[in-house]
Amino acid sequence: MKHLSCIKPDWRNWTVGITGVNARPDNPGPGLAVARCLRESVGFSGRLIGLGYEVLDPGLYNAAIFDASYLLPYPSVGSEGQWERLVEIHATERLDVIIPCLDAELSTFAHNEAQFASQGIRMLVPTLGQLRARAKDNLGELCRRLDLDTPETLKVSDIGFFDRCREEGWSFPLVVKGIYYDATVVESPDEAKSAFHHIAAQWGYPVLVQQFVGGYEVNLTAVGDGKGNMLGPVMMRKRALTNKGKAWAGISIRDDELERMGRIIMEGLNWQGPLEVEALRGDDGRLYLIEINPRFPAWVYLTKGVGCNLPQLLLRQIAGEHPTGLPSPKPGTLFIRYAEELITSLEQFQAMMVDGVLIAPGEKNAPRNLIGRS
Amino acid sequence: MSAELGDILRDLIGKDRLPALAISANGFAFDPRSGQSFTVNHTGIDTVELLLANGSIEATVDELSKRYDVPVDVVLGGVEVFIRQLSRYLA
Repeated sequence: MKHLSCIKPDWRNWTVGITGVNARPDNPGPGLAVARCLRESVGFSGRLIGLGYEVLDPGLYNAAIFDASYLLPYPSVGSEGQWERLVEIHATERLDVIIPCLDAELSTFAHNEAQFASQGIRMLVPTLGQLRARAKDNLGELCRRLDLDTPETLKVSDIGFFDRCREEGWSFPLVVKGIYYDATVVESPDEAKSAFHHIAAQWGYPVLVQQFVGGYEVNLTAVGDGKGNMLGPVMMRKRALTNKGKAWAGISIRDDELERMGRIIMEGLNWQGPLEVEALRGDDGRLYLIEINPRFPAWVYLTKGVGCNLPQLLLRQIAGEHPTGLPSPKPGTLFIRYAEELITSLEQFQAMMVDGVLIAPGEKNAPRNLIGRS
Repeated sequence: MSAELGDILRDLIGKDRLPALAISANGFAFDPRSGQSFTVNHTGIDTVELLLANGSIEATVDELSKRYDVPVDVVLGGVEVFIRQLSRYLA
């Protein structure tokens, strides 16, 4: 059954499914921030649908942001399970667009993109090839191809490496990284082995080892149009970190070299969809590429704060507007993250637990007077 | 004054590090590239303005010496330390 005839041209009226609505204070997903950007977009009167994986994902219960929320099967179930559940949700919600916000689910969304399109559900996500090219274990090869600096990285599956790594030219401190998430700075072979076991148990093999580079981290987020162009770059430096190294506060910056790095990546991969570039301004003054994340970052609400609302821009791009002449983000705008409690009833929790769905009553796009909301 | 100090200043100006530095009237300085902020006192504000206007350490020192009625060698010592500190902050 196709619904292509139902495609609405005006993004302001779209029904948008957003994943990644988990929001643990030390490591929040980007979904709630993406949703806030859209909810606060001038003229947006569409519906926002929260898509979560855990019954305690707070975004699922945020009735001020989401019109309805649904549970999805874990990405590990595979693309078929994801497809079936979203078709089920689509039958009720008539989704126009989905914005995936988590690394682990991107490959299944990319795999199902054509199927979703056949149902009238649009996305702007990287291709499977683009996802592979930016994977942590392929980053060195990509940087060689694009002539970008990156710290030396090695796939390790034998902990004996840490005892002999000095003889092979490596020096502590090192960074031990999971293939999908997680990174720990280690100062000795014993610390390295402990981190290796912890990360392998959580994320599997191979484990990556990266040469530590001293300096400070800078980040860029933008949208790629799939033709090599970078839209709306916004840059940020973290000013306060959680114990997982995530930004608790940050400030917008303008770093021409970082912007150039972003353009090279977009052009080199013909990147389509959102991305985040994590780079390190080394003590030697050079800029090192650390990671490319194939989605909006959790700090994406700052883009609205600097007048360059990237989730809105993404919808406009999908709608075929191809926005140009975007404002240049002003450096010196800060965000400071905070945690707050959502109150939800047993009935609502039960609805999510048993049926995996919660419909939130009330008008969302009317002017709201919420503490902490601009 | 060492030639190296002149090189540091040329670098700070040539690479747009010092011209891009935003300093408010109360001495709050913000580096838009690194996101770092720090404060400078009234003399520091004057020194940055003069360095940018003159592009020369000697001319800046002479002007500060006249403005504050302080011997040239004392001003030069202060300006040297200040430029080195700026180069660390704006690395």
